[in-house]
Amino acid sequence: MKIKYLTKDPNWVDRVEKLGYGYHTEDNTPYWIDHYYYSISEQVVDQIYQATQELWQMCLEAVDHVITHKKYHLFHIPNFIHHHIEKSWENDVPSIYGRFDFAYDSKNKQLKMLEFNADTPTSLFESGVVQWYWKEHFFGNEKDQFNSVHDQLIHSWKELKPYLKGNKLHFSCIKESLEDLTNVEYLRDTAIQAGISTQLIYVDDIGWNGQSFVDLEDENITSIFKLYPWEWLVNEEFGVHITNDITEAQWIEPSWKMILSNKAILGILWELYPNHPLLLKSYFDTPKEMASYVKKPLLSREGANVSFVYNGRTIYETKGEYGEEGYIYQELAQLHRESSGYSIIGSWIIGQEPCGINFRESDYPVTTDKSRFIPHIIE
Amino acid sequence: MKKRSSKAVQLILITSVLASCSKPVSKAENDGKQQVFMRADSTAQYTNVTQQYDQQRSGSGMGSAFLWYMAFRHLGGGMGYASSGLKPQSVVGTNTAKANAYQQATRGGFGSTAKSTNARASS
Repeated sequence: MKIKYLTKDPNWVDRVEKLGYGYHTEDNTPYWIDHYYYSISEQVVDQIYQATQELWQMCLEAVDHVITHKKYHLFHIPNFIHHHIEKSWENDVPSIYGRFDFAYDSKNKQLKMLEFNADTPTSLFESGVVQWYWKEHFFGNEKDQFNSVHDQLIHSWKELKPYLKGNKLHFSCIKESLEDLTNVEYLRDTAIQAGISTQLIYVDDIGWNGQSFVDLEDENITSIFKLYPWEWLVNEEFGVHITNDITEAQWIEPSWKMILSNKAILGILWELYPNHPLLLKSYFDTPKEMASYVKKPLLSREGANVSFVYNGRTIYETKGEYGEEGYIYQELAQLHRESSGYSIIGSWIIGQEPCGINFRESDYPVTTDKSRFIPHIIE
Repeated sequence: MKKRSSKAVQLILITSVLASCSKPVSKAENDGKQQVFMRADSTAQYTNVTQQYDQQRSGSGMGSAFLWYMAFRHLGGGMGYASSGLKPQSVVGTNTAKANAYQQATRGGFGSTAKSTNARASS
């Protein structure tokens, strides 16, 4: 696994914007990297595929464990939503996707799960579309990618279609983020291609009529994909209505994903699968015997409020607004490093199937919203 | 099979309408430029939407990205259109039936965390 450079395409901005990719650059710094890529082997692809499949099964076991033993307090999940979570789990409410983030120790050729973005993962559009067109532009059919994200999304929506409630699936995100809107519209695009009737509604336009959630035409919302975190939804004014809703709208991702998207799951996984080669040691509330570790807030997003401790000394920390909810202490992982920066691997699971990857690169050993997206090629 | 790339990637919904959305412009850049006012009902007063226009337009002209952002929606029942991108007084005006239809449900009960923090909704 190594970085390879290409001759820069002076028209790359036009090329990616024609695909509908508008957030390729932030503050004059490219987020999308066009002129270098990760060259990876078939063996690494196999390793990521198998790790993703295995971890997904372990995560499902962990959700079942948390629900069975009612360990919600470890996740700081409000009481009123517990029953909703249990019902969504028992009824197998549709889930479409998630993204595991892996550290790759090149020396020992070992993947380690850093976390699971189970509720609101993005970079889906650049993974499934922009990265694919980038491959076509530079390599055509001569090279391959671990990237069937697009096919798998359409396939998964087709499989979920009979289980969707009502005859229209709403898609929702916040108004202020082009990245979120693009990701949601991409998901909606694939749902339409799967034959599903859809409608976009921004999160703050969702209405409550005293009985049900409604769209802007005052029609009941029966099923809705939301790119908006569960922990935000349940703590907002309408949160309590999720359990009052007589329509019992189907929320995608389902509420049981609150368990997987919370970093407390890292501690649960370590309790259930101690010393598993794909896991990093993770403890609640204290680092225990670890001298080098990462301290992560349970609900932190985009690498906020993360502290790196090496041999008992804090060597790096990020700012943010999280931490009141408690922390998880995770063993320090060995990140893959190149001259261009530190990288992690995002591995997509869509409709129960590992189907694609992306690389995110940072100047520091923590992935944030500023981390660069690096395409890849199997060769 | 899944470890390979898709054979073809076709999009039917997303076009350059999204890519053309740009970052907010500073007030100074906006000074002296065209001002844009809109309303969603002939009985309503106009609202200045120049800022949204400058943030969302694509190159010259209004552009479909701006219309996308404003997202006028048909209310049905002969009541015309509404847009949550406009201030409420520019949506319904003195049209009581439309006001009732638009205001029947309460809105804005979701989305407050995104507005009150610097955090992103996605991860």
